[in-house]
Amino acid sequence: MKFICRPDKYIVVRVYLLCNADFMFILPFQQNAITLSVLTIQNISKSYGKIQALKNLSFDIPQGCVFGILGPNGSGKTTLLSIILDVLKADAGNFLWFGHPGTPEQRKKIGSLLETPNFYHYLSAINNLKITHSISGRGNLAAINSVLEKVKLYERRNSRFSTYSLGMKQRLAIAAALLGDPKVLVLDEPTNGLDPVGIAEIRELMIGLNKMGHTIIMASHLLDEVEKVCTHVAILKKGELITTGNVDDVLADEDVVEISAEDMDALAAAMTSYNNASSLTREGNRLQVTLPKGTSQLHDINRFCFDKGIVLNHLVFKKKRLEAKFFELTNN
Amino acid sequence: MLQIVHTEWLKIKKYPAFWWVMGITTLTYPAINSILLYQYNDLVKKESAAGQLVKTLLGNPFAFPEAWKTVAYFSSYFVFIPAIVIIMLVTNEFTYKTNRQNIIDGWSRKEFMTGKLIDVLILSLIVTLLYAAVATIIGLINTTKPGADKWGKAYYIGLFALQTFSQLSIAFTIGLIVRKSFIALAIFAFYFIMLEPITAAFLREKFHSEIGRFFPLQISHKLIPRPAFVGRFDEKAYQATLDAVKYHVGYTLILILLTWGFCFWLNNRRDL
Repeated sequence: MKFICRPDKYIVVRVYLLCNADFMFILPFQQNAITLSVLTIQNISKSYGKIQALKNLSFDIPQGCVFGILGPNGSGKTTLLSIILDVLKADAGNFLWFGHPGTPEQRKKIGSLLETPNFYHYLSAINNLKITHSISGRGNLAAINSVLEKVKLYERRNSRFSTYSLGMKQRLAIAAALLGDPKVLVLDEPTNGLDPVGIAEIRELMIGLNKMGHTIIMASHLLDEVEKVCTHVAILKKGELITTGNVDDVLADEDVVEISAEDMDALAAAMTSYNNASSLTREGNRLQVTLPKGTSQLHDINRFCFDKGIVLNHLVFKKKRLEAKFFELTNN
Repeated sequence: MLQIVHTEWLKIKKYPAFWWVMGITTLTYPAINSILLYQYNDLVKKESAAGQLVKTLLGNPFAFPEAWKTVAYFSSYFVFIPAIVIIMLVTNEFTYKTNRQNIIDGWSRKEFMTGKLIDVLILSLIVTLLYAAVATIIGLINTTKPGADKWGKAYYIGLFALQTFSQLSIAFTIGLIVRKSFIALAIFAFYFIMLEPITAAFLREKFHSEIGRFFPLQISHKLIPRPAFVGRFDEKAYQATLDAVKYHVGYTLILILLTWGFCFWLNNRRDL
């Protein structure tokens, strides 16, 4: 059975039968029937002269997720965000916000921070946000004060933007994106220039917003941050999509169990005959046993070692780090 | 539309450089006309034969209705001052990348350009009002002849507005293309003060070609002929200049349409 979502009209339920024929049921559209895509990217390509920044990129961003777009420098993250915000024109392909082609009216409802904080240097924070409000229609004077308090800029609200530090400029850009409590946020490197406390605050803010049902699309190369915040990821390399999906699915393509014992040489030798192990990696006084996805049985490994006369003093199922996965996928 | 005007006002109202240059503009227009008026008065008040000859030859270019044209002609040479404001307003958007932020926040590219078009229109209106005020005051002070036709040449207000808008539009276009304020200002000043007038004069003197009057700034420059006393030297040529004004109104309108058509097209086409 396959669900095909047509957000503007109806949902098609296609049932594949053994006889190779299929029946189709058309159900009336229901908003929450299945997870809808906030953003659908379809075959987007973009070149800068001879350099192809994006190559036929396609993926969906589901509603209510924190979606991380990852990639090394020059992988096309900012180019992609620029295209979906109409700052750049794609050479080919298109994108749909909530199932419809992008329009200025849709952008007004999306809080965005792209690349660098872009504000009028001679204006104060409050006057810059008045311009954001005037264009987007998001928020009001009370909301402006509220977001400035949220990003801890309220005390400096009347200072000129040109007098701000890099971190304060970034906070103002986040405040502008949050103005009017938009349901979708597009944040390009949101923690750029922030101190560790600021990074933690923005992380908590994003997690909190996501819990309230906001969809956050963020590009970052800070893998640790992405791993802490994101529910879904897309990894780009040289403009190509390497992988996309739920963070746990992307990371968990194999199981890793970390073990150690008094006699590490004996342990390593014993584990070579363990049936399921696809590889063994010695890291100091730890041995990492890699197994096919979903096959690790900690009690089985423990019993196997004990039967071989080895008593384990460490046995942990280890979640693969996003950083490791990222390096693996991007061959860095 | 009101939302666009309001947003542009938010950008301008606390921009110190805008108010400084507007202040300079406000001082320049009355100042330059007052200096010329003072020099004229200084010349004609002399009892000498030369003084009386000048008075007979020039008439009183600062009295109504000629004051409208005289003040418009001299003021038109200072359009490069409000042009500085226009170039700053457009290049600032690129310098601070606020043009892209305006789009990200929900403006279409057309709305962004409409905002800039409104800036140029409003500034042209302010400069025209300033010219009209200066011409009115100078005309009232210098018109001694009873029953003088005060409003006879008031249509120069419209011609001055059209010329100012056309020339500021060209300044805007240079800013939009170049995107760097200093370079755009240098190009506009060089073209306005040096390149175009010299090239047009060179073509006229050397090759007897009038092609120069179709240069971008010359098209609207021809809307306001020199003061009437110039006609005393070559009445036929001066009459031809006056007759050409109506055609240049049409040429200027076409140029304005082409200028803004190009600006909208360029902004729509290129990446931000």
